[in-house]
Amino acid sequence: MSKTANPFEERITMAGVAEAAVVDRTTTLQTLLDTPAGRRMLTCIQCGTCAGTCPYGDYMEFSPRLVINMLRRGFIDEVIKSDSLLRCVACYACTAKCPRNIRLTDVLLPLVKEQVLMNNTQMPAEFQKSLENMHRYGNPMGESPRKRAAWTATAGVKVPLIAEVKCEVDVLWFVECYTSFYARGQENSRATAKLFAALGVDFAILGNDEKCAGECGQMTWESGLFESLAEYNMKLFGKYKFRRIVTGDAHAFNAFRFRYPMYGLTQPVEHTTQFFARHLEQLKPKLKKPLNLVVTYHDPCCLGRAVGAYEEPRALLQAIPGVKLVEMVHNRVNSVCCGGGGGGMWLDTYYKQKGMDRLSERRVKEAIAVGADVLAVACPYEVSRFEDALKVVPHDKPMVVRDVVELLAESIG
Amino acid sequence: METRKNEPVRIGFYVCHCGVNIAHMVDVEAVAKYVATLPNVVVSRNYKYMCSDPGQEMIQTDIREQRLNRVVVAACSPLLHEHTFRGATEAGGLNPFYFQMVNIREHDSWVHTDRLEATRKAMALARAAIQRVPHHKPLEVKKVPINPDVLIVGAGIAGIHAAITMANAGKKVCLVEKEPSIGGHMAMFDKTFPTLDCAMCVLSPKMATVGSHPNITLWTYSEVVKVDGYVGNFKVTVRRKPRYIIEDLCTGCQECVANCVYKEPKFPDAFNLGLGKRKPVYMPFAQAIPSIAIIDPEVCLNFKRGKNPDGSYTVSDKCKKLCVVACGDRKAIDFTQKAVDKEITVGTIIMATGFKTFDPHRTPYYGYGVYPNVYTALELERVINASGPTEGHLVMRNGKEPKRVAIVHCVGSRDENTNRWCSRVCCLYSLKLAHLILEHTDAEVYNFYIDMRTPGKSMEEFYNRVAEEGMHLVRGRVADVYPDPNDTASGRLIVQAEDTLTNRILKIPVDMVVLSVGLEPRPEAEDLRRLFNLSCSSEGWFLERHPKLAPVSTFTDGIFLAGCCQGPKDIPDSVAQAGAAAAEAFSLIDKGYVEQEPNTAFVLAEECSGCKSCIPLCPYTAISFNEETKKAVINEALCKGCGTCVAACPSGSIVQNLFEDQEIFSEIDGVLAPLPQ
Repeated sequence: MSKTANPFEERITMAGVAEAAVVDRTTTLQTLLDTPAGRRMLTCIQCGTCAGTCPYGDYMEFSPRLVINMLRRGFIDEVIKSDSLLRCVACYACTAKCPRNIRLTDVLLPLVKEQVLMNNTQMPAEFQKSLENMHRYGNPMGESPRKRAAWTATAGVKVPLIAEVKCEVDVLWFVECYTSFYARGQENSRATAKLFAALGVDFAILGNDEKCAGECGQMTWESGLFESLAEYNMKLFGKYKFRRIVTGDAHAFNAFRFRYPMYGLTQPVEHTTQFFARHLEQLKPKLKKPLNLVVTYHDPCCLGRAVGAYEEPRALLQAIPGVKLVEMVHNRVNSVCCGGGGGGMWLDTYYKQKGMDRLSERRVKEAIAVGADVLAVACPYEVSRFEDALKVVPHDKPMVVRDVVELLAESIG
Repeated sequence: METRKNEPVRIGFYVCHCGVNIAHMVDVEAVAKYVATLPNVVVSRNYKYMCSDPGQEMIQTDIREQRLNRVVVAACSPLLHEHTFRGATEAGGLNPFYFQMVNIREHDSWVHTDRLEATRKAMALARAAIQRVPHHKPLEVKKVPINPDVLIVGAGIAGIHAAITMANAGKKVCLVEKEPSIGGHMAMFDKTFPTLDCAMCVLSPKMATVGSHPNITLWTYSEVVKVDGYVGNFKVTVRRKPRYIIEDLCTGCQECVANCVYKEPKFPDAFNLGLGKRKPVYMPFAQAIPSIAIIDPEVCLNFKRGKNPDGSYTVSDKCKKLCVVACGDRKAIDFTQKAVDKEITVGTIIMATGFKTFDPHRTPYYGYGVYPNVYTALELERVINASGPTEGHLVMRNGKEPKRVAIVHCVGSRDENTNRWCSRVCCLYSLKLAHLILEHTDAEVYNFYIDMRTPGKSMEEFYNRVAEEGMHLVRGRVADVYPDPNDTASGRLIVQAEDTLTNRILKIPVDMVVLSVGLEPRPEAEDLRRLFNLSCSSEGWFLERHPKLAPVSTFTDGIFLAGCCQGPKDIPDSVAQAGAAAAEAFSLIDKGYVEQEPNTAFVLAEECSGCKSCIPLCPYTAISFNEETKKAVINEALCKGCGTCVAACPSGSIVQNLFEDQEIFSEIDGVLAPLPQ
């Protein structure tokens, strides 16, 4: 199959969000309206689509729509004093549907959220701790950086370290935190390693030197923290030769795609589902073991709405023998966030205190309603979030959460 | 006064301020001062409005008093005022083709931001003209008679109105319609805003007039496939698709329909947007004009399934053909009918090809095509209409009357992800539909809007009137439509939006969702644009020659626009524009002739080698070969001045008026010569 004939070379996008970053790293709330992305905010027609589609819109004192107008009127200080934007899970729903293509999720809201962080003395403890861990250990859970590559011993295939390869590799696989340390995350990594090996991909990982990519960049509120992580990783990248970055973490993918270019990243980045979809023709003959499952797919925000990669994971799932793909009520551009983005991963206790429902529970209810055996995901945050949600949401038929790559690896046998 | 040979060239140069349009970006005084220093320039002036009467008089006076024999004006686009200044030159006593125009507005002041550079560009452009104009020759405008017949493409309300207007004035009109019946979108509407009169009641008399008018040749189920020629003399080929019914023999009795082997209507009915059913032989709708049945070969049992590669269908002869029996002596059914190409000659063309409604599959979060109770506004028009699939009973696909209805404005309008423009009619038709729902049912109606746009005569009054009827008007664009998780059995939907005026997120359970879809260019508009040599705006609407001053003209002389093919508009505006297009066509026809720019090419017989290479290249077949002299000959009446032969001639023996080598090279030299610092 020729490269240009591959349907996944072209992204199917709903909104114009799939452009590289349009503000530079020095942009502040004060200078925003003078940037091209900021001038889009001057075109806001206050239609409320952002607020209406926001999964936590019900709980926001200042809806995204209102934030824009407060900024335009010079009242943004009132927004910063409120904890309203702690409820933003950076899910791109507002941005994707905005009729004016205003970049709320990755331009305006992070700038406001950072100010909220600086002005709010009382930060939720769980969240505070994760940021500190990221700063101190290079991962949000506070695990020892020396154990980051320990999972490779159980990979079943050789996972080369780039420092030991000594020559250019095609794929630098950025493994990321949850997929390195969490037991359930490691299953994703083992599956990816197996698929790389099966396809004969020339790949390597950074090993213990790797540090968190910085989540979705500024979306984790702390631009200083992100900056130090990005500069660290960029320095590391500079030591090695590789042609592309592939990562299974949708948030790291997002950071590399939109933020790292500001720090000098020039290599293309792909999510594992995009990479494997691009190699689907080679992969297909290897998918021998039928799984006989009804699978529904949850679009991760950082892969779906952020770059419009809705069809790649679905194509992979449909290539697995015996998989029946069914769609939840909310899918693709209309997908509902798992609640883990924008720091939400570490704000569950806080959300509960505020009487907010958990988005992961809202989501698994939809998966249960379509009668799926498997809730397939493509982001390591989602595994634990949905598995937790399934523990509390009653359902008659058993359901498991599996990453797309895990299902692929299982079908390879 | 003509210039004699060897008489010294005396140029008058005028640079226009165009108010501030040019003067704010170009130092017009500096340009005039600079041009005054150039050879042959006798007068060099700047003036606020050269196109004004005093401006034109200045040129005439200078011609007389300064004995000018060439005139150059640096101002706006020649499209706008070349004609004006040629007129002034002629009024001053010179051949109008001793005039040359320099565009320093569209090509300079409007597109640059550096005043110094823009000024230098104006100087260079002016000098190019100053160097060119001494080579100009006196030329004559030719007059070509105009064919008084007119072609109107599209028979919606705009095409119908233009056709009747022209036909009533005694012009022969050929009205071509793609569909089997005329009427367009208007025929599908129930009632119309702001008067709430029934669309068909006002439209059907006009449709009947078209059908019976002695001056109108109506070709339905037909498409224009070829357009040749030019203003005054267009040659148009129209393909008349087979409807398998001989139009002249069909009486519209519909006995064929009644007796079809299909006892019940089975196939989706296009006129009712698939909400109703029809038989393989059918009448498009009750008031269809022409009142002639049509057979759908895709489903009729007397045809083999599937199209042939040439688009035709093969008769299978497998059916009992009860329709033919019912038709009897009328013998109107002809299964062997083939597409026929007809060629007509007309002098003017009016395009009235209309619009299509936005396909809401492109806004997937509104659930159209997923949830059966999500309708487009046009579908609702059919459901409410007494002649529609439910005979005017407002019931949903499940047969139930809705208790709560949400009307979603701006679907596929004002949206960077779909169509950026405001479709202009949706707010008003949404209010109208809300009124009609209240009239037909006891339902609660929610209108979700971004901004309520009701401009136009009596429109705000209409808004005021229907608002009082008690519909909910919610200012917020709908963000999501999904099945009610607490009631999955009834098909009830939740409409989610922010009520931006109360800062609340509303989740309104409704039985029916109506999407107020916007208007967009028809998918075939691009093909038509090519066929008729028109321009389109970036959105795909046919482009008018000037948005304010030539709103129904196009950049192709003799072709005019009417109705929504030029942009979204309501019925009153479509009709008004159709009238305007008809008037523009009249103005051409009644003049009796068109003037032809004398930019034609001619062969220098003594240099022509007779190689014939120019002959097949001419797109207007204006070149022939004189077998006696063995030279190429150009028919000036046919030449459109495209210059193809001039460029192709290997011996350089074809010359084009207004674009002679010397003129062009001097112009190039002028624009490239160094400027003073």
